[in-house]
Amino acid sequence: MQRGYWIRSKPLYGSLVWQTPAAAHLVIAGGEGGIAVLKLFQQMYPKDPIQVLYADLPTADKNYSDILQQIVPEELELSDSEESLLNQLEQRLKNCTMGTHFYVAGSEAFMWQVLQKTRAAGVQDVDVQKELCGTLARPVYCVHCKTITRDVHHNVFACSHCGRHLFVRDHFSRRLGAYMGVMVDAEQPGNIPQIEEVYP
Amino acid sequence: MSILNVRVADVEQVTDVVKHFTLVQENGQPLPRFSGGSHVVVSMNINGRIHRNPYSLMGSPENTDSYHISVRRQEKSRGGSVFMHDGVTVGTELQITYPVNLFSLSKLGKKHILVAGGIGITPFMSQIADLNRLGDDYEMHYAFRSAEHGAFVDQLQQMCGDRLHLHIESEGQRINFHKLLSNQPLGTHIYVCGPEPMVNALLLTAKDLGWPKTHVHSEQFLAPPIGDSFKVQLAKSNMEIEIPGDMSMLEAMEEAGLEPDFLCRGGACGRCEVEVLECDGALMHNDHYLSDAEKASGNKIMPCVSRARCQKLLLNI
Repeated sequence: MQRGYWIRSKPLYGSLVWQTPAAAHLVIAGGEGGIAVLKLFQQMYPKDPIQVLYADLPTADKNYSDILQQIVPEELELSDSEESLLNQLEQRLKNCTMGTHFYVAGSEAFMWQVLQKTRAAGVQDVDVQKELCGTLARPVYCVHCKTITRDVHHNVFACSHCGRHLFVRDHFSRRLGAYMGVMVDAEQPGNIPQIEEVYP
Repeated sequence: MSILNVRVADVEQVTDVVKHFTLVQENGQPLPRFSGGSHVVVSMNINGRIHRNPYSLMGSPENTDSYHISVRRQEKSRGGSVFMHDGVTVGTELQITYPVNLFSLSKLGKKHILVAGGIGITPFMSQIADLNRLGDDYEMHYAFRSAEHGAFVDQLQQMCGDRLHLHIESEGQRINFHKLLSNQPLGTHIYVCGPEPMVNALLLTAKDLGWPKTHVHSEQFLAPPIGDSFKVQLAKSNMEIEIPGDMSMLEAMEEAGLEPDFLCRGGACGRCEVEVLECDGALMHNDHYLSDAEKASGNKIMPCVSRARCQKLLLNI
């Protein structure tokens, strides 16, 4: 990112804070997002019903199921994978009413998978509280072969599907939940800039 | 601003205070298309002074042969509605702006709850046509004082069927906003148009129940309030004008030959916003557009509805 310049589609994230007044609260977190849930419960938490969905994830350096079981006062549903968490979320969204506030925490790829579900239920992305936890790894969409590679840590990487060397842009698609990756050596094949880990 | 020259093709007395006007283009061409919830601004020449009032388009957006507006007679106002009632007949020529929509349906909505009080029903008439065409889920709640004040009830029954809920105040039926807003499915959007206390009550209830602002939509056009006269200095035009008690600053500037920007003329859209360079008294903000903080800071004013009580007011226009 250059000084004084930014791409407007690059999402910025805050810290989870209880939103009141509300009819209910639904907190969704995966892997290192567990720490954001613990931080939520260090705040005075609201009297309205609270549900927490959490999944330990193999990609996370640290998982929080054990601590959350001690801290979350009610309605904690644990999953063992992102996929089963997303299925549970889909079921729970059917019973949610207007006035429910949503909170999501975890890696960027995880959060935008969750947001695809909430959006399909009619919740606008802007109304979901988001906290990025653990890693800056990016999901990247190859604009050439139209596939998404998750957990990209470097400024330039080889697409997991077509093998092209892609430069990772800040240009982000909310619909796809991924940053745009464009072929870096299209004009001069083989001329690949120095590869650096910029999204640890 | 682009102007359409129209002719009144039909006038219908709907209730004892509401008249419905059918407008066609003078040159016989179809009128521009619009989306549900749009309004036009009608210019009226009343004793040599131009009045411009916004009115919602209430016909089906699919009908481009004619536009339909309805006007409630407001006795204690500056004369626009009285002129429409007493001075406009079949054949009268009027000028209107192109349609503008400040009250559109959310394309992301899964369900739409429409709430109207009295003449506030008009923007919903075109929205309902859109909702029926799209096949979207909706409820229409329509509150009015007594049976004889229920304008367009027959038409609404035909358009909405059992989606229409009437709330007749004289029969003790009031809308229970708390009940209406509780337990609505995710993705519901609510739209309200009506008298200010009703709109405010609904907005407050929605907030208390945790509805996000993005799902709550309201439209209120204010008539410019009558006040004391005052003087305004215009920095860029380098002139001083007098604002009479029954004229808005926007109207007075137009009268003086200026062409300030405007869209709604009712304190809703923010298009006519002007920077206040100097004011030695109090600004009387009457709009719904500026935030409380902006109103307090005194750097901006909406000349369509707001006034001032001061010796000197310098605007950057």
